[in-house]
Amino acid sequence: MTATVAPPVSPTIDPAPIERTFPPPWMRKVGTISLNVYAGLGLLYLFIPIFVIVIFSFNQPKGRFNIVWQEFTLANWKDPFAIPELVDAFKLSLEIAAISTGVALVFGGLIALALTRYRFRGNAFVNLFLVLPLTTPEIVLGASLASLFIAQGTDRGFLTILIAHVMFCVSFVALTVKARLRGFDWSLEDAAMDLGAGPMRTFTKVTFPLMIPGLLAAAMLSFALSLDDFIITLFNAGTEVTFPLYIFGVRQRAIPPQINVLATTVLVVSVALLIIGTVAGRMRERSRTSPH
Amino acid sequence: MAGTARQGTKRGRFAPYGLLSPGVIWLILFFMVPVMVLFRTSLSDRPNRFVPNALNFSWNFSNYTDALSQYGEQFQRSFVYAAAATIACFAIGYPLAYVIAFRGGRYRNLLLGLVVIPFFTTFLIRTLAWKTILADEGFVVQTLRDLGILAANGRLLATPLAVIGGLTYNFLPFMILPIYVSLEKIDRNLVDAAKDLYATPARAFWRVVFPLSLPGVFAGTLLTFIPACGDFINAAFLGSPQTTMIGNVVQNQFLVQLDYPTAAALSFTLMIIITVAVLIYAKVLGTEDIA
Amino acid sequence: MAKKIKPTSDQLSRRDFIMRGGAVVGGLAMAPSILSNTGAFAARARGENVGGKLSVLNWPLYIDEKAEAQFKKATGINLKYSEALNDNNEFFAKYQEPLSKGSNVGFDIAMPTSWMANRLLKLGYLQKLPLTDAPNVANLSPGFQSPAWDPSGEYTLPWQTGMTGLAYNIKVTGRELTSANDLFDPKFKGKVGMLSEMRDTVGLTLLGDGVDPATVTYKQARPSMRKLQKAADNGQIRRFTGNDYQDDLVSGDFAVCVGWSGDVAQLVLENEDLRFVIPDEGGMRFADVMVWVKGSKAKAQVAAWLDYFYTIDNAAQLEAFIQYISPVANIQPALAALDPVAAKSELIFPPESVEARLKTFKILNAKEEEQFDNAFAKITGS
Repeated sequence: MTATVAPPVSPTIDPAPIERTFPPPWMRKVGTISLNVYAGLGLLYLFIPIFVIVIFSFNQPKGRFNIVWQEFTLANWKDPFAIPELVDAFKLSLEIAAISTGVALVFGGLIALALTRYRFRGNAFVNLFLVLPLTTPEIVLGASLASLFIAQGTDRGFLTILIAHVMFCVSFVALTVKARLRGFDWSLEDAAMDLGAGPMRTFTKVTFPLMIPGLLAAAMLSFALSLDDFIITLFNAGTEVTFPLYIFGVRQRAIPPQINVLATTVLVVSVALLIIGTVAGRMRERSRTSPH
Repeated sequence: MAGTARQGTKRGRFAPYGLLSPGVIWLILFFMVPVMVLFRTSLSDRPNRFVPNALNFSWNFSNYTDALSQYGEQFQRSFVYAAAATIACFAIGYPLAYVIAFRGGRYRNLLLGLVVIPFFTTFLIRTLAWKTILADEGFVVQTLRDLGILAANGRLLATPLAVIGGLTYNFLPFMILPIYVSLEKIDRNLVDAAKDLYATPARAFWRVVFPLSLPGVFAGTLLTFIPACGDFINAAFLGSPQTTMIGNVVQNQFLVQLDYPTAAALSFTLMIIITVAVLIYAKVLGTEDIA
Repeated sequence: MAKKIKPTSDQLSRRDFIMRGGAVVGGLAMAPSILSNTGAFAARARGENVGGKLSVLNWPLYIDEKAEAQFKKATGINLKYSEALNDNNEFFAKYQEPLSKGSNVGFDIAMPTSWMANRLLKLGYLQKLPLTDAPNVANLSPGFQSPAWDPSGEYTLPWQTGMTGLAYNIKVTGRELTSANDLFDPKFKGKVGMLSEMRDTVGLTLLGDGVDPATVTYKQARPSMRKLQKAADNGQIRRFTGNDYQDDLVSGDFAVCVGWSGDVAQLVLENEDLRFVIPDEGGMRFADVMVWVKGSKAKAQVAAWLDYFYTIDNAAQLEAFIQYISPVANIQPALAALDPVAAKSELIFPPESVEARLKTFKILNAKEEEQFDNAFAKITGS
């Protein structure tokens, strides 16, 4: 997700005469405001379907399709687990997301550590190799993995979904953690060693804490990617039904409002986490800047 | 990687390989090997589609020529739609990333969170929601008809516009986040200096800020363009038989028709075209990697 | 004359009642049986605890929720019921590999459509159903004793059957429809839906062209395939859908589409302008059938399942929910007790005149099927 350019493009300095009267301040102000409004509209655009999803979680459909507004109800919220298949699918998705994120964090974290901590032969190759799964369309990843399983005669199911999810999460984790570790001063580790800390202690007390922000970001990213993956999973799921696969199937015969309820719940939980994170961050900042 | 030795990095003999091996072996087994199997499949015959494992490897290059001649249109469409969606994502995403990075102040993280949060609802649900919004008898289409922007029997759904719109929406965060990251890294003093140096904010932007954000633009366009090329959900939900993309064909050939060689040939061709496009693009922008 | 459903206030309130108060349906299981053999089964089922495990793979919303619990209670079987069957071809692609090896596929019984069941049968992926251990199977309608897809009648047993015809929105069409060729009326350009189920869409088009789908050869079908291709290319056809045609019909995005009987009855709740008709030229008949896959050892449980859903009362309860056509004979009185309107519906109990116009698509051989599938894939743009 993060990016660097090899040599930063250095801005060329243009010896044009400095003309301070144009544009006049009012024009700058209009410019600023219209840019802000444009960005605000962009943000609004991101939320348009979200509003629809949330609003329809309070709809009382008369038939099986929750797509025409009928009347307001809280019934769907009182009984969010009314559909056992939906709940099972959701649980399965959470389980797969949790396990694949865990595995990907270990694998990807170690790769990031190797790439930032050491200089070694093949470094550039590994960097390129990590990017390849990201520059391959999902449909190709899904089809090729399924080809392998078919050629091997492996039955597709829970395990094959996990394999696939770990595969596409590892790259994301490695690259995210690497971006955060880059520029980190590794002589701190040596300092810890010099002070008598063993390699294990150095890792747990120095290296690992420094990796935590990167790992957290990577964990969120890969959890979200796994939870939402449809295309690769479709090819490799066998009899298992994840949340997206459930929606893909059931939408043909019904769109139950409980889908909206679960989607809204995920949304509310993530908004809450975001707000808590922001508030906590600001409080930490304040306590740090406040005079002792 | 610039390849410079940074502070304190060590020259490792075994340790780095030890750290790399679990993840890299996983990627070799479940990314490299499958791609090779895919390549092999793409050159095989399938005499009977109802018999599993009935693939005969035979250097059958006609799979490629057949697939391309029959599905050239879908390939073309995939790239045109993905390119259009990428441009739209850039037009919406860059200003948004810019405002968050430079004017977000202490709410930067909150605003960034707001960009990401819609994407915690499942991809399919969001696309279905667009289908409801853009329905022929829905509010949006009716309003556009009343305003005379759409003809009386005009529609949005089942048109290329709806498919491109869906792709734009679904991949927008992949554009915004990398751009934001590169904008955020820019030294504020540099921006202030530029403002002093150049006459107008616009010139300061184009001479200083924009060039420095190019790595983000590069990463963002790739992360938008590539998945958009291979997507089939937007075309399936929001499109018509005339807007099917290569993803729809691969999905149908692989999962419905069981024509694995054709599906593999199409997938492999898509992968090659994208890789070449990425390399050319990287050359043009002068970037060496996106990681 | 083609028949149509027109929603009446009576119908609406009735369905409303059933949808919201599912308890009525559930309560019926305990109601005194009208028919003697159902009483016999109830006693047998209650007395005889089969136990063990059974996994069933079915289409979404193809069973009423009460039935699952009732079946578990009646038989003591630990039922794992999955709704992961969304498309026949996708189903085949997913399970072909393990089925060919006779290894565990994760289910004992599945309900593919008859033509797919025939393919599975020919490939040797099925076991003979334990029909002798399921006495209530005697309630099977005479028409399904030896169907074309399973001539001996030993490998498949219909779960539910139904009709393929035209579903339309009268407000958008502006007139009643009676012909399969109304799908190609230029007035409906861009508002026509077709099913991605090849046999339904091609079958109805063939009927419109006066070709019998029950005996069609690929050569005979060519003009109709070209007609479909043209309609797809010029934008007459808006979308090829699975069962989600219902969604487009309700929202008004489709004026007319190929649809399945029973669905529209549910949809009028959302949009009362919807109609379903078997065209004058004829309609298609489909059957989703239960098959017992190779590798499964749950014989007693499979027998209990077949037996349970072939009792009159249970079949009637299922019918009240699904509303296609039950393969179980003589359920009308039991259904009347549950749902008087459904019991009178011509969609659930089609009259002779309609029945006579229904065709089942020919069982294609592998070569023909590939020809049809390839041409159809091209039509759908994929």
